[in-house]
Amino acid sequence: MQIQVKCSCGAEKCPEWAIIELQGVVEVQPSFQHSLQNLQIGLLCRPSSQENYTFTVGYHELTGYKVALKKPMVVLKKIKYMDVERQIDEATSSSSCVELDVVGFIRHKILFKTRPTTLISGPQPTVKEKINAEGA
Amino acid sequence: MMEQPHSCCKGAEMLLNLQPTSSVSIQYHPFFGPHDDLVLLELDEKLLSDVLYQRVTLRGQPDEDAVLCTKSKTYSVKFVGTSNSVFLIPPADYSTSHESGGENYNQQVPTASVIKVAPGNMELVEVAPRLDKLKSILSENLYSSDEASTAMGDLYKWDDLINKVQASDDELKAGLQALSAVEIDGYWRIVDEKYMDVILRMLLHNSVLNDWSLDSLVEDKVVSVLESDGFPRKLVYHCLNVYGSRVEEAMDGGVWRLDARRVCVHFARGILREGKRKMESFMEEWLRMIPEEIQPSFDMLEGEVLTEKLGVETWVRALSVSSFPTTPADRFSILFKERAKWEWKDLEPYIRDLNVPGLSSEALLLKYTRRSQPSIDAEPVFSAR
Repeated sequence: MQIQVKCSCGAEKCPEWAIIELQGVVEVQPSFQHSLQNLQIGLLCRPSSQENYTFTVGYHELTGYKVALKKPMVVLKKIKYMDVERQIDEATSSSSCVELDVVGFIRHKILFKTRPTTLISGPQPTVKEKINAEGA
Repeated sequence: MMEQPHSCCKGAEMLLNLQPTSSVSIQYHPFFGPHDDLVLLELDEKLLSDVLYQRVTLRGQPDEDAVLCTKSKTYSVKFVGTSNSVFLIPPADYSTSHESGGENYNQQVPTASVIKVAPGNMELVEVAPRLDKLKSILSENLYSSDEASTAMGDLYKWDDLINKVQASDDELKAGLQALSAVEIDGYWRIVDEKYMDVILRMLLHNSVLNDWSLDSLVEDKVVSVLESDGFPRKLVYHCLNVYGSRVEEAMDGGVWRLDARRVCVHFARGILREGKRKMESFMEEWLRMIPEEIQPSFDMLEGEVLTEKLGVETWVRALSVSSFPTTPADRFSILFKERAKWEWKDLEPYIRDLNVPGLSSEALLLKYTRRSQPSIDAEPVFSAR
């Protein structure tokens, strides 16, 4: 079985995606669990011309930096479709086909790996950040 | 290039180009979800353009671990999880299969939306092509002299082999060459050794009859004579390919030189097919069979035969490296079943073809064998770990 890896947007137009990475888990207040769409997680700021960033989630403030990935990544989308023509072809044993489409690439991430500081004032958060047991 | 002004206030572009003293609101995307169909694949810089320009495929049967193939290399694909939260942020104009709906044209605040929290990413590790399967499926139906009556069961065209064998195109071609496979009527076949023997002997017989030099066989003559003897044209060419090579310097092309080692190995294998022989008996028959023009020497047979001392006698038996699996663990396992202890000079021909990207032969020995040295001036000996 052979699955073609395509890039339907075209290599030159392939867009760059981004990653924000935290050592921790973001929790949503129970009443908001089922309406996440457009809910704000937090505010990301770049205070100076350095590639340092702060990320405020609920009453936690994280500090981090933008870093180039050691190795680039691509974002692949699995596409399953029923190929009527291929059903006749005995080389494929099933009548559904899978393709992989490259929808983007990633070269940078904004990484937060220090313990957050707690902000004293601020509204009751609908989203808060919880430190992982193994956090830095 | 950004076409619409408002798209640079959103998405990955916004985030990656965030200016000093600016901020961006990180939100859950309107279509946030598990999106198991979105996968991250980490790759070396040099593979990026192969992927973007659609030069890679995934190969494998449903019950196998998938491999990713470029034109010339094979990589295993492994998932590596992370305990971190990896928020994946697409570009501003990304939408899933749903239509508009998520656009928030009233947004004044710059936003970047998270479509998914990735549990990890796929990684690639370069591996040797998995060619053992190629040999076994092509051996199911050897092409023999009574082809018409025995051609049943599965035969494989190039596209069938791509579907079944986890190797890149270039590695598959090299594998077919190593097996001396030949394409007949679009199907790749391995020719039965006994049939090859018949064709080779006929070629040699005709060389004597017609006074042909084995160093400069004229293709057209050889093919027409053997064809009139009843051999298919394709197989005559195949015989020249298997036992000889084209003479490049010949003016009008189509001139072949038989390869001494390949011819000698062929006859040795034939003699030893029925079992081991005493050295004298083997040598006597072997030398008799080899055509006059060819100078045999015993070291042509390394990697093809093993000599053993049983009492005062030296015996020879067939042990061809080509019959062994290509994966190191299986190869060493079989070698140590054949013989518990090996000296380096005997072992080397049987492992020299092992290919593990990133592992030298010293590293292979370290990994799969135990080295011992009975005394300082004795040869080191390798045995199973």
